[in-house]
Amino acid sequence: MNEKGKYLLAGALAGLTNGFFGGGGGSVLVPLLTRYCKLDQRRAFATSVAVILPLCVLSAAIYFYRGGVDLADALPYLLGGAAGGWAGGKWFKGMNMVWLRRVFGLLLIYGGARCFL
Amino acid sequence: MKEWLLPLAVGAATGVLSGFGVGGGTLLLVYMTAFAGVDQRLAQGINLLYFLPAGLMALPAHIKNSCIEKKALAPAIGAGLLCAALAAWAATAAEVELLRKCFGGFLVLVGITELFGKRR
Repeated sequence: MNEKGKYLLAGALAGLTNGFFGGGGGSVLVPLLTRYCKLDQRRAFATSVAVILPLCVLSAAIYFYRGGVDLADALPYLLGGAAGGWAGGKWFKGMNMVWLRRVFGLLLIYGGARCFL
Repeated sequence: MKEWLLPLAVGAATGVLSGFGVGGGTLLLVYMTAFAGVDQRLAQGINLLYFLPAGLMALPAHIKNSCIEKKALAPAIGAGLLCAALAAWAATAAEVELLRKCFGGFLVLVGITELFGKRR
């Protein structure tokens, strides 16, 4: 498949995940961008932010319209997220991600197992 | 106060990851559903809203570092929007219990890939 086709497919899968689970688009998109589209790790992460953002706007609007969101519950997460996101952009350049990703993997498996209990 | 502080702190921590471009929202979903007892669908809606400020605050730094692959944007966002709309529609119509099981499967899959997948 040509380059554009690969980006189309990667975006489509990220969109499906992001819309259905209300998140996790980056966890699908970044591996696709590195392994399948052959972007280097850093470009893949940064590009993922730019791609996921408009998808979240649309999905959030649909959830909101269909009654799945409560603004009052969301507010503290939004404020924290704004501060963390700003820091993440700033620290992005010098970050070693190996340990971060191991802890991340363990937490996900724990959270996943909890969904079946 | 306490019911505000913890979400604020967790949001900030996962926000750093979201700013990097991966994992922040997934982790926040795990926190809300597995630790804070938030209903699966409500957690998903909160998570979508949460990414708006988190991603938006990180974007200027990524643009400044010129780390964004511009060629990817139009096709990935175009296809992504279409699929996201369909999936969001499906998710808001699906039963919460089904949503939760699917999400659990997704988490285990991504978790295993993160732990044992090849790194580049």
